[in-house]
Amino acid sequence: MAEIVLQRVMKNYGPLYAVNDVSLTVNDGEFVALVGPSGCGKTTTLNLIAGLLPMSGGDIVIGDRVVNDLDPKDRDIAMVFQNYALYPNKTVFKNLAFPLQMRKLPKDQIDQKVRDAAKLLDITHLLERKPRELSGGQQQRVALGRALVRDPAVFLMDEPLSNLDAKLRVQMRSEIKRFHHNLNATIVYVTHDQLEAVTMADKMAVMNGGFLLQYDTPANVFANPINTFVASFIGSPAMSLIPLEGVTSGTDASLRSPEGWELPLSPMNARKAASSTTSKIVLGARHSTLKLHKTQVPGSVPGKVYTVEPTGDVTFAQVFINGAVVNISVEPSVVIHPDEQVFIEFDQERMHLFDAETTMALQAA
Amino acid sequence: MSIATGQATRPLIGQVAKRPSILSRVIAHRTDYLYVLPAIIVMLVVIAFPIYYTIELSFFRTPPNLQMRDKIWTGIDNYRTVLSSSVFHEVTIQTIIWTAASTFFAFLLGLGAALSLHREFIGRGVMRALLLIPYVISAVAASYVWKWLYHSDFGVIGAISVQLGFTDEPINFLDNRQTVLASLIVVNIWKEFSFAMVMLMAGLQTVPDQLIRAAQVDGANAWNRFWHVTFPHLKGVSMVTVLLLMVANFNSFIIPFVMTGGGPADASHIWITHIYQLAFGRQQWGIASAYAVILFVVMMALGYFYVKALTRGDEARAG
Repeated sequence: MAEIVLQRVMKNYGPLYAVNDVSLTVNDGEFVALVGPSGCGKTTTLNLIAGLLPMSGGDIVIGDRVVNDLDPKDRDIAMVFQNYALYPNKTVFKNLAFPLQMRKLPKDQIDQKVRDAAKLLDITHLLERKPRELSGGQQQRVALGRALVRDPAVFLMDEPLSNLDAKLRVQMRSEIKRFHHNLNATIVYVTHDQLEAVTMADKMAVMNGGFLLQYDTPANVFANPINTFVASFIGSPAMSLIPLEGVTSGTDASLRSPEGWELPLSPMNARKAASSTTSKIVLGARHSTLKLHKTQVPGSVPGKVYTVEPTGDVTFAQVFINGAVVNISVEPSVVIHPDEQVFIEFDQERMHLFDAETTMALQAA
Repeated sequence: MSIATGQATRPLIGQVAKRPSILSRVIAHRTDYLYVLPAIIVMLVVIAFPIYYTIELSFFRTPPNLQMRDKIWTGIDNYRTVLSSSVFHEVTIQTIIWTAASTFFAFLLGLGAALSLHREFIGRGVMRALLLIPYVISAVAASYVWKWLYHSDFGVIGAISVQLGFTDEPINFLDNRQTVLASLIVVNIWKEFSFAMVMLMAGLQTVPDQLIRAAQVDGANAWNRFWHVTFPHLKGVSMVTVLLLMVANFNSFIIPFVMTGGGPADASHIWITHIYQLAFGRQQWGIASAYAVILFVVMMALGYFYVKALTRGDEARAG
């Protein structure tokens, strides 16, 4: 196993930067998820680590070697692909044996390693089958096996679960997590599904537009999103963002809505609001931090119910506040109806303030 | 309710489901037969009748001094004559060499061209267009051009080889029993390798990028990637291409006919040109027909494998 270091990695296609100045360190044995929407550069970053694409700039270190100019086969990596990429004309055994064969291992060693890997992944009974005779989950396990059999320093996984149906995906999610735990492997895992990243990874790197926005543990990313993009991308339902106007009078500060109401800020939040470049501030709040009231209470603002979605143990409601859709979760016993006037109370401790101009989270000066 | 109807439509155990008779099935599809009838009539007139007439003629002798309707029944004599003639043996060997060599090298060249054009490089479009030229220009025109290139006195190839000092005097490519067939095969390969190239380029498009990348990560070098990933993917299209080339080469006529007419001394005859000469040159209709029937049987065998290869490709894709 080994650590991976990316230093100011760049990849451009003409004027288009697919990966823009990305630096991050994946520690030995860590499971890191690269997460972001389609086209954010996460798969390109993975391919750069694998050596499948040439870099435009920067350095990549795997273990203690700079691998910039090394071929994929010399980087001591293994890769699991979105469509599994099993060789269709080869049996499962031969698929697993292929990377060893290419490294010219003796036959008996190949046989032993393939059988060990197959046993670990519980696919021994499938060894003589062709990939097309396997289910999606089995193919995925074979793909993992082909990566595992070589005992590489680093595992790179490119959306390995996105071709599976929802139920199987949840199951394979825990299997890959278990796989990581058992092998103590260094894994870089690309996904567009923030839930996969949050549930599986030790750390997640949120990317957008080729930039690495935030690199931290899922809990920290969830609790302290660095900007409005990360805030709205991580978490389900997404964090609600309400654009408002910051008003200060002396040491007191509040957020004012063009709808006429005003939300006073705590001293801490007032200091944050003061650091904004302009008076335009975005208020962010997660559904679980909000309280719904039928009548106005101090620190609450008016809104209009848009939809109500009961899910059994919790009911989600979408409420229009100042033209923005705000997600809120309430007890199933609470009865609300669309178009009903309600009042939403914010938790000053757990609300987020963003600079509307720069989209960055505001910090207390 | 739904369970009951479900069982009623299924035959009970031990009872064999009765298949409807052929007649009732034909009647059930009577309009379908009506729709294909015009096509069938055309096929009967332009294909089935000539085949029948050729087979009939192959059992008769047609001396030039008699009218066709006075042809003389000879049984299988024509077949015996054809199969035992030394020229037939010679031409058969030439046909096999012609077909095998043309197919093999055209495929190989086409594969090479397809693989090199598959990578992106500046001028790829132009190269592709240039390499397609042989396939799209008229075979008759190409034959005349090559005939001139090969010409013993005025040919460009001879002149260049003399100037470069390879030979003392221009080689006589076409008027030489030893070199004529090989010279024609070169022209044929030049003419049809782009067909193989186009087919294989299409085949290469179907090789998933991810598989190539997986092989790269697995440590496969360029040759191993080709051998373990690309080539297995090309199997189906290769089979079809080789069979189509073989059929085309068995049936090719223009190049040998225009360039040498089968000469010198039958050295560049293949079956088709030989049959043509026997029929329309020497008016030996019976012999030529028997000859054609033999060719027909061989072609049918090839066609059988062609269809088999095609359907196997479908099955592989379906699976």
